Amino acid sequence: MDPLLYVFDIVVYIGIFGMLALSLNLEFGFAGLANFGKVAFFLIGAYTYALLSQIGIPFYICLIAGASISAVFGFLVSLPALRLRADYLAIVVLTFGEILRLVVKNEDWIAGGDWGISVSRAISLVGASPRVNALVNIGLVYLCLGICFFVLQLLANSPYGRAIRAIREDEIAAEALGKDRAKYKAQVFMLGSAVAGVAGGLYAQYLQCVLPGMFMPMVTFTVWMMVLLGGPANNKGVLLGAVLVEIFDRGANIAKDYLILPVDPTNLQYILFGVLIILVLFYRPQGLLKESPVTTKALELVRNERNAVKSNGNQ
Amino acid sequence: MTINWAQVLFNSVVTGSFYLIGAVGITLTYGLSNFPNFAHAELITLGAFIGYIVAEQLGLGMPAALIVSFLCTGVVGFLCYRCIFQPLARRGATIIHLMVASIALGFILRHSIGAVWSWEPLYFTSTWRAFDVGPLRVTWLWLGLIFAALSLATAMHFVLVKTKIGKAIRATSSNPELALASGINIDRVIWITWFIAAGLAAVAGIFRGADTQIWPMTGWDAILPIFAVAVLGGIGNFYGAIAAAFIIGLAENIGVVGLTSLGLSTTYRIGIAFLILIITLIVRPQGLAMLFRRA
Repeated sequence: MDPLLYVFDIVVYIGIFGMLALSLNLEFGFAGLANFGKVAFFLIGAYTYALLSQIGIPFYICLIAGASISAVFGFLVSLPALRLRADYLAIVVLTFGEILRLVVKNEDWIAGGDWGISVSRAISLVGASPRVNALVNIGLVYLCLGICFFVLQLLANSPYGRAIRAIREDEIAAEALGKDRAKYKAQVFMLGSAVAGVAGGLYAQYLQCVLPGMFMPMVTFTVWMMVLLGGPANNKGVLLGAVLVEIFDRGANIAKDYLILPVDPTNLQYILFGVLIILVLFYRPQGLLKESPVTTKALELVRNERNAVKSNGNQ
Repeated sequence: MTINWAQVLFNSVVTGSFYLIGAVGITLTYGLSNFPNFAHAELITLGAFIGYIVAEQLGLGMPAALIVSFLCTGVVGFLCYRCIFQPLARRGATIIHLMVASIALGFILRHSIGAVWSWEPLYFTSTWRAFDVGPLRVTWLWLGLIFAALSLATAMHFVLVKTKIGKAIRATSSNPELALASGINIDRVIWITWFIAAGLAAVAGIFRGADTQIWPMTGWDAILPIFAVAVLGGIGNFYGAIAAAFIIGLAENIGVVGLTSLGLSTTYRIGIAFLILIITLIVRPQGLAMLFRRA
């Protein structure tokens, strides 16, 4: 296989999974919601994209539709569990993901059941080489990733971001200060699901197919690994996590072609993955990068002034 | 098509018995350690495989398989808690961290099982003779399962109410600080509970494996309804779990009849447990707990 194309492939995957990691970071890192069914919203985005693009709707509308439908489902699914402890939400969303995969697997009329359907590229250039196509995909994915990163970064530093962090730290105190925690949590969950929906649409058009097998629970935990390793509540950290986990995954994939092991390398890869998660939880639960402090224009001014006063005092 | 409602009812009791044996462990550890142990699924699978070795490869028969598997899986469950969850909790891990750790542990166990025994499904070779009792078609395996669930319910009731360790489990579950102040060795209580929980998972796994097939996903295929049972019964509530297991067993079997008559795939039976889970969370998130105050 063309090595440059392989590198491009890794870059696209990092972009798509980076978006998923950002969305989980919003939910888990900032708001403390345990979304154990991220893959469900990824799936909704991908299947919406696949079905709408089939009837000739332009790709940006497909992506937006995927995001919206994903957000609606996110709202509906989270509704019963938002007022309860984190573990209830985890169980509900995990089950939802499994059922959704069963539905698309069993109902052939939706999108070909087990065999899936093929999806056309978002932007198809006539007579373009695979490399050019991959580059176009990189452009598209990173444009979306950039927008998500920008919006989520703004959100994290806004009063809204501080409110959801407050809810994460102490729900009752936040509620006493007049923050409606169920409303905030539902909004965060919807936004997170929408971002996952866009990522799903991009994934479907990049792979040019949707299959139930692409949406195993493992996807969710790959994303969790990225967030936990990179640093919850730090958007740059989770992107770093996405890069590291993807490279680890690919590295293990390449290594198993060259290593002769007594155990099946696929099993070994999953075992190592589990061990890695537990090691991170043991020795680095705050992730590689710590939670980013809030930065706003006003805070920056205050800090600069304080530094100026300090340096004047030293002279 | 006429529906044999007696058979549906009997199947519900069989399903409910399986859920009961699987869910008792989950609800007890959930109540004591305050997080859902997703790796319980893999303990069920592990129990099925150990049972297979003892019953089929060593040819020692079903009773020996149940006992050996109970003990071995129990030890594994204890080690999981002692080596992973307890130190994590001591380091101040949140409930979300513990859940993620339990899923990671599940991956490790599931794929270790896959590496040792491969992903090809295994079957118990002993055939379970089916015979008719009135309108019912039953097998000795199902009768054994029901018997196991009933004796488990009775035995656990006596353990929880009459014995010292049972009282200690209930005390620790309802108020750990007070239990500690009353001189209960909390650590030992939790260890014993994890041992029993994993052992019961193994029993559930053997029955499940004997009824269907044994492969690394045996436990995962059954874990979500089992969680629904734990939530419906009220987390940590043993009597609630008994009622919930049979309610969900009944709902699933009636649901399967409904799904078949609508021409839908019966794999959606998991959706019925999901529906009950959602309704429970909306209407009565504390589960059936308050109906059974004693545990």
